[in-house]
Amino acid sequence: MAAKPGSAPTTYSPNLVQKTRPPIFKDNDLDWVRPDGRGFHQCRPAFFRTGAVNSASGSAYAELGNTKVIVSVFGPRESKKAMMYSDTGRLNCNVSYTTFGTPVRGQGSDHKEFSSMLHKALEGAIMLETFPKTTVDVFALVLESGGSDLPVVISCASLALADAGIMMYDLVAAVSVACLGKNLVIDPILEEESYQDGSLMLTCMPSRYEVTQLTFTGEWPTPDINEAMQLCLDACNKLGKVMRACLKEAASASQE
Amino acid sequence: MVGLSVGEKHFIQGGIAQDLRSDGRKRLTYRPIYVETGVIPQAHGSERVRLGATDVIASVKAELGKPSALQPDKGKIAIYVDCSPTAAPMFEVVFALAGRGGEELSTELSLALQRCLLGGKSGAGAGIDPASLVVVEGKVCWDLYIDGLVISSEGICSMPLPLLLSNTGIPKVDVEAETKGDDQPEVSISDEEFLQFDTSGIPVVVTITKVGRHYIVDATSEEESQMCSAVSISVNRKGHICGVTKRGGAGLDPSIILDMISVAKHASEQLINKLASEIAAAEASEEES
Repeated sequence: MAAKPGSAPTTYSPNLVQKTRPPIFKDNDLDWVRPDGRGFHQCRPAFFRTGAVNSASGSAYAELGNTKVIVSVFGPRESKKAMMYSDTGRLNCNVSYTTFGTPVRGQGSDHKEFSSMLHKALEGAIMLETFPKTTVDVFALVLESGGSDLPVVISCASLALADAGIMMYDLVAAVSVACLGKNLVIDPILEEESYQDGSLMLTCMPSRYEVTQLTFTGEWPTPDINEAMQLCLDACNKLGKVMRACLKEAASASQE
Repeated sequence: MVGLSVGEKHFIQGGIAQDLRSDGRKRLTYRPIYVETGVIPQAHGSERVRLGATDVIASVKAELGKPSALQPDKGKIAIYVDCSPTAAPMFEVVFALAGRGGEELSTELSLALQRCLLGGKSGAGAGIDPASLVVVEGKVCWDLYIDGLVISSEGICSMPLPLLLSNTGIPKVDVEAETKGDDQPEVSISDEEFLQFDTSGIPVVVTITKVGRHYIVDATSEEESQMCSAVSISVNRKGHICGVTKRGGAGLDPSIILDMISVAKHASEQLINKLASEIAAAEASEEES
């Protein structure tokens, strides 16, 4: 493309971002609105699609608001020769961030524990006995981090495993709740997460009503614990239905 | 890791069902805990704790630094736990299989500790109040470095965790009071005066392991190999829950988790009292020497 002679090249001038932001709510302000207009107990609309990566055994793409995650599953593959014989299968998980996925470039390395948390969340759901001596690799890539990253990664990973045909007891749905002052806010976005006083991340298998992973952060009085867990379980149920609908759609599309 | 015959497995599970564990303890009883304070003279606070075969050293160091631009009225706290392969050959072997080494366990423990001690991102519910670490707002603050070293470990994940927390909870950091300079943040640190650190809000971690249909506390490595799943719950002295992490294993019914939380609260009171008396004894013996 030839530039017109005499015209100044257009440049993108970034606006200087203020370092300190006022808190998005004040303590006594009970009727504040969430930045994206949702209710306190309203999750973001979820978009799931399987079969995103052709070369993988199974894959899935999930988009909830600004959080975009792609997960690919390879396996069951032969375990490395150095590994000991084991009569149950092995699960190997890895969660990584793209360099452009976080608001500040390269900040994704703050979340090193996501790989082991993904592993713990999935190991209760997969029937490891069905693939002895082999390994299933789950690789998750967060394309954009818009808050509530790990729950989206976990839900997407279980869809990818289903797409790969790995036998599981049930799909794993994950949801997180943030405690902002006295309010419980479900599926927080990045801004809400930075101001939270406490958080709960819960992953469960909706049909079996079993919790595979649970993490509380911050101080929680007991009645709040009950309320938050119930909220998460209800949300996981609904998310489970959305995930099943996605799988059915993919299966019926391939049959045609 | 731990090779158990079928008979031994039945023995352990049956014993736990009858409230009599292999070493004679009840389900919710801890093993004796030995505490020594002041083991590292160069650090501002340090402690060594032994529980069964697990041996952990923790040290706290404070250095002057600049607070971050996002939170100018708070100090900084960094927590790190090191599980080197010298601690147990298990670390090297087990994690070499996964290709990662003891680093993964170190990261996991460090993050779990951070979660328990530092509370939510806004700083609420933190065991250590970062606002008490500031010297000159916006310019000078204390950077607290809490480091733990696992010297020997029995049982891979659940053992060191409750200990470490009690460790870092307790070392009373001797923070030096200083004579302030003028407008420029020139602080001179006096060597004589010390301020005690407020440790009343620091939580204790209790790891509840579910074996069969019963819960035990302070599992040995044989008992841990028989577990269905385990949950680590951190409770502070007010009886509030500061952090809960499920430590892998099978799925759990939500009502069981709530049940475990109430058992943990009960067990934590006993543990807090025990630790407080141990630490008082350790400090008294340190003063005598």
